[in-house]
Amino acid sequence: MFLQQLVNGITQGSLFALLAISFAIVYGTLRLVNFATGSIYMIGAFFGWMVVKFVIPNLFLAIFAGALAGFVTGFILERFAFRALRGVARIASLICTIGFSWFLNEAMTVLFGAERKSMPSFYSDTAFVLGDVGVSWLQVILVVVAVVVLVSLQILIYRTRIGLAIRAVSLDFKTAGLMGIPIDRVISFTFSLAGAMAGIAGVLASAYYNAIFPYMGNIAGLKSFSAAVFGGLTSIPGAIIGGYLLGLIENFGVQVISAGYRDIIGFVILVIFLLVRPRGLLGRKSG
Amino acid sequence: MRRLIVILLLVSVAVLPVMATGAPEVADNTIHVALSAPITGDWSEYGVNFQRSVEMAIEKINADGGVLGGRTFRLSVGDTKGNPQESATLAQKWTSDDSIVAEIGAFSSSSSMAAQPIYDAAGMVQLSPTASHSDYAKGSPWSFGIVGTQAGEGPFNAAFAYNDLGIRKIAVLHLNNDWGIDTAKYFSEAFERLGGQVTGTEFYFDGESDFTAVLTKLKDSDADGLFIASFYNDGAAINIQRDRLNWDVTVLGPTSLYSPQLTALGGDSVEGLFTATGFFAEDPDPRVREYVETFTAKYGSPPNFHAALAYDAMMLLADAIERAGSTDRQAIRDALAQTADFPGLAGTITFTERGDANKGYSKLTIENGRFIRY
Repeated sequence: MFLQQLVNGITQGSLFALLAISFAIVYGTLRLVNFATGSIYMIGAFFGWMVVKFVIPNLFLAIFAGALAGFVTGFILERFAFRALRGVARIASLICTIGFSWFLNEAMTVLFGAERKSMPSFYSDTAFVLGDVGVSWLQVILVVVAVVVLVSLQILIYRTRIGLAIRAVSLDFKTAGLMGIPIDRVISFTFSLAGAMAGIAGVLASAYYNAIFPYMGNIAGLKSFSAAVFGGLTSIPGAIIGGYLLGLIENFGVQVISAGYRDIIGFVILVIFLLVRPRGLLGRKSG
Repeated sequence: MRRLIVILLLVSVAVLPVMATGAPEVADNTIHVALSAPITGDWSEYGVNFQRSVEMAIEKINADGGVLGGRTFRLSVGDTKGNPQESATLAQKWTSDDSIVAEIGAFSSSSSMAAQPIYDAAGMVQLSPTASHSDYAKGSPWSFGIVGTQAGEGPFNAAFAYNDLGIRKIAVLHLNNDWGIDTAKYFSEAFERLGGQVTGTEFYFDGESDFTAVLTKLKDSDADGLFIASFYNDGAAINIQRDRLNWDVTVLGPTSLYSPQLTALGGDSVEGLFTATGFFAEDPDPRVREYVETFTAKYGSPPNFHAALAYDAMMLLADAIERAGSTDRQAIRDALAQTADFPGLAGTITFTERGDANKGYSKLTIENGRFIRY
């Protein structure tokens, strides 16, 4: 069963990695933990589901819709909730993300009801067999989409002008502003980009678990946040490694100990690791 | 100016609740009963059906001339959202209203047990249609349950698995709450008494959506059967993910799985699943037919086991009030405790000394997306 748990872990890890990046991008540029990330993941899942249910049952269109919904939600969140608070008090922005998260969850509960909705199965045929483990096309697509998104993000940040601007703002946004970088637009774009990552993760998760409900993002968000902390919180490669590690640790933890303790296993390892190395796997040295 | 606003705000916060409780008291001849149910939330299908069934029962009783020589019923409904704290808050609300004579609810054992001390202290009947935890009814003389306990259902399901389905080695997966722990425990004990072997027991928390890791582990335990102590939503998700892991195994679950939503959410993956119920909507009994047809005509979908139990609860309460000859809270409790052979739609009801009922069940399986008798 080693192989099966490996496959489970990698699939789940891809979802964690996408969400962890969403945390890392925002934290990297603004030094702000966006606790609404889990809710944006849920919003993405709902828009993907609506496309599948009311427009056309196509997974890739649903992923696109989820990314778009996440992008727009991230944009709105930054524009109306954070711009006014930027540079005032970081704790106010932090509380604001928590408030926004509850607002989104409750709004979707009122609009759609709290009961689970089912997402149809896509590509559930077996793609290839690994030992005695069948890997479905959906799992392949899930991992491939995650990897494509992660690689294009690296290219965007290290090979383009907007990427250069994001890196400059992340180092010191006041100085970056003095150098003529339009920091409002860069920060707005960063937030939207992080939202799109969460939205994509939401659609992929809903297709994988066939279930959608307004509180689906709470636990996923918390776990991915810890994966991001594990990776160093400011580093995108760190967040990716953190996400996959958490997925693997959880699944093997279930195998070795018990399913009821899966959350505890992940968090205990995180705490021990941070005691030994407080800046995370690939985090920048502070100061 | 700012101070004035703050003071005004504080005053309004203090005054509003007082105004809200000042609702006009209906001083008429009706008998006021309360219902606590998860109208919204993950268990809303059950909660909404509770409300529908209790309202239908009240309509029928009132149309037939009421009780105690022509007194009719009126109902107040509160939403527990499936949350024990909300259920306890509702209990405070109902018990502090002198016009309410008894409460029906809550849906889950956890919610019913969280509210239990409040009903006990206030001296009001708490009649749960569905709470089946063995500690629920015996916890207070004011608490009654009509679904039958897991101590009764567990051995039935175990015999179904062992004798009828020929399962010898079974893996158990349960929801980690009062109900799930009890359901798994009584099933496993009875299954082992019959000579079967439980190869592994695993649990999950409410709200979990990833079952692949735990199913992989249970698959590894080399069982020829899987018992899932879950509700329909988790039951569907578990089977979809089991199917994806290519784990071809006989799946069995308790009465909580009997809902049209299970087949709607689970699709092909729940085909051939086995479950039990105390109420079967296709029963030829004319009373069941009348209830099912009225319900279906009114709400567009057939009632499930839990809906029928809520109907039975209201009918039983009316019967007890008639027998008590008064609407005194104590008199209602005493009459209810005397209940013997009450003919419910979901089985006859005779209360044990503890306040729970022993019931019979029928075996079901799913064929072509429909529940049929096994």
